[in-house]
Amino acid sequence: MSNLKDLFNPRGIAVIGASRDPTKIGHIILKNIVEYGYRRGIYPVNPSVSDVMGLKTYPAVSTISDKVDVVIVSIPNTKVPEAIDDAGKAGVKHAVVIASGFKEIGNVDLENEVVRRARRHGMRVLGPNIFGYVYTPVRLNATFGPRDVIPGNVAFITQSGALGIALMGSTILEGIGISAIVSVGNKSDIDDADLLEFFDEDPNTSVVLIYMEGVSDGRRFVNVASKISMKKPVIVIKSGRTEAGARAAASHTGSLAGNVALYESAFKQSGVISTKSVEEAFDFVKTLSWNPLPPGDRVVVITNGGGAGVQASDTLADDGIYLEKPPQDFVEEVRKILPPFASLANPVDLTGMAPEDWYYRSVKSALQNSGIDAVLVLYCHTALTSPVGVARAVAGAVDEVGVRKPISVAIIGGLEAYEAIKHLTNLKIPAYPTPERAAHALAAQLKYRKYREYLIKKEQIAS
Amino acid sequence: MREAREIVEKAKLEGRRKLLEHESMRLCELYGLPVAKYGLATSEKEAVAIAREIGFPVVLKVVSPDISHKTDVGGVVLGINSVGEVSDAYKTIVANVAARAPGSRISGILVQKMVERDIEVIVGGIRDRVFGPVVMFGLGGVFVEVLKDVSFRIAPLTELDVEEMIREIKGYKILEGYRGSQPRDIEALKNLILKLASIISDIEEIEAIDLNPVILYPRGIGALIIDARTILGE
Repeated sequence: MSNLKDLFNPRGIAVIGASRDPTKIGHIILKNIVEYGYRRGIYPVNPSVSDVMGLKTYPAVSTISDKVDVVIVSIPNTKVPEAIDDAGKAGVKHAVVIASGFKEIGNVDLENEVVRRARRHGMRVLGPNIFGYVYTPVRLNATFGPRDVIPGNVAFITQSGALGIALMGSTILEGIGISAIVSVGNKSDIDDADLLEFFDEDPNTSVVLIYMEGVSDGRRFVNVASKISMKKPVIVIKSGRTEAGARAAASHTGSLAGNVALYESAFKQSGVISTKSVEEAFDFVKTLSWNPLPPGDRVVVITNGGGAGVQASDTLADDGIYLEKPPQDFVEEVRKILPPFASLANPVDLTGMAPEDWYYRSVKSALQNSGIDAVLVLYCHTALTSPVGVARAVAGAVDEVGVRKPISVAIIGGLEAYEAIKHLTNLKIPAYPTPERAAHALAAQLKYRKYREYLIKKEQIAS
Repeated sequence: MREAREIVEKAKLEGRRKLLEHESMRLCELYGLPVAKYGLATSEKEAVAIAREIGFPVVLKVVSPDISHKTDVGGVVLGINSVGEVSDAYKTIVANVAARAPGSRISGILVQKMVERDIEVIVGGIRDRVFGPVVMFGLGGVFVEVLKDVSFRIAPLTELDVEEMIREIKGYKILEGYRGSQPRDIEALKNLILKLASIISDIEEIEAIDLNPVILYPRGIGALIIDARTILGE
């Protein structure tokens, strides 16, 4: 039922409420569309001026003779229904309603009217009360958020506006590549499930991140999320985790079935990775979008300090991953480079004296060994080595072997450590400032692997 | 499932939001769920006949649309071992209810097999506004009351989902057998949860259903529902 192809690949896009005033949302969105490099038709709609930013304006969408698939609606709320009618008559397929002042302030009727009119013309509605959307494969940034979104493979759906815009900026800072950003706002029509159906099929997306306050049709979400999760990981930040789930206590089950418990169960059942914080979600996005899927769950930890190793092992254990003895041939190889007192159990302790070359050789050997499924590298900044040097050594090993199995790196220290993390991030090697975060992000991949197998098994049984 | 529908329609017609205990039990039976043997008596003679048929010991409980806490009004007599005791208990319950809950309608007296106690679990279902039919599982008593050690799944369920939800609770080790206690009949439990999911999925009027307690016996012996409570939506 949901065909959002034209939303993400429009033949032409009109901005209703395009303004010359640089402080107006209608101006900023048009500017982003133009400057981010959208190459197809861009049509400002504004009856009171002849041109905006050097583009000819139109008094109404129906006066544009070229094909327009999407209208961005940035005008006062009461004028929206009329604009929808005009766009609908002109054959527009999707209305992206930026305007606010609908259900979020109690104007339910006005919102329903917008959807009703859109439906009459077979048009879908994104929003209202949103900051717009991005689809990098066609260089489309129709938001009033930051312009220079990094193209990549992560789709981000957000129900929160302000936090969503802010996180758009965070993706740039964190070096996270984006395929799409979709502000869903009031979800009057298009919702998470519709978008997941699209991203499931979208070859440009390999991970989906959702900031969710709630869904209206939980069963449909479970169905659609179960399907996409077999192919691509879906990470959710669910807001309102502490809300008490009180409901009429006529039944025991009812008194226990709080909102939070049900969402968590739904996520688990559909293989969705639930996170507690933005930081955790972004950490997971990095491993899940930059690393390949691990073939198994045998993790080897390589460290230059016992403390960092213990912190990482404990974190992994909390996530249900228990370290086993590394394969013998790997141990033999590493033994050649290490001093006799180095511990060759798991974590492999290269000792505090480990130079960059030891990192290079041990990481390379771990990446090459078929008895190891994922590699966690920990480095504590010592006086003997430079963090950037170690980062280069790790990146060199990855480069030489190729990206064949998951890797996660912790560079622990001060400003130089931060530089080293940035270096790895630029190379799309997940790197973090603490052993716990690096371990937990790697564990997310192993968890997803289990979820995925579970979903596939369920489907096999069903068919 | 014509009979199941009839039970629900009857309650609706009578303006009841709760099924009577024997109706809930019957609903479970119709869906193939294992319930402790029971019968509804509307006379002392009938109570004796039912007790004879299902075998001693039995329990007698008042069934009334007006009474929700049966023990508070002296509406329950446990550990009945003879025909004479059945007659006595029947009279006692009727007298107690008349004294402590005057004017309450009595639909009958439930005569139920008093079964051997063992590990108790709770299996429930609710119809959620967002997720629709949802099922719950947990260990009974303190585990559910205090620790809230329960798991949920959205229906429809696969057998794999049910396995996961059983294993998910913290007290799962108790079901696996510990300190020499025997492992429990997980297969029977799985079956029970799946069938409860069908009830809540099939019958749209049901807002909540509690099977509490369900006695879960050692592997191969099965499970028995002791008490079932069904709430219909407004």
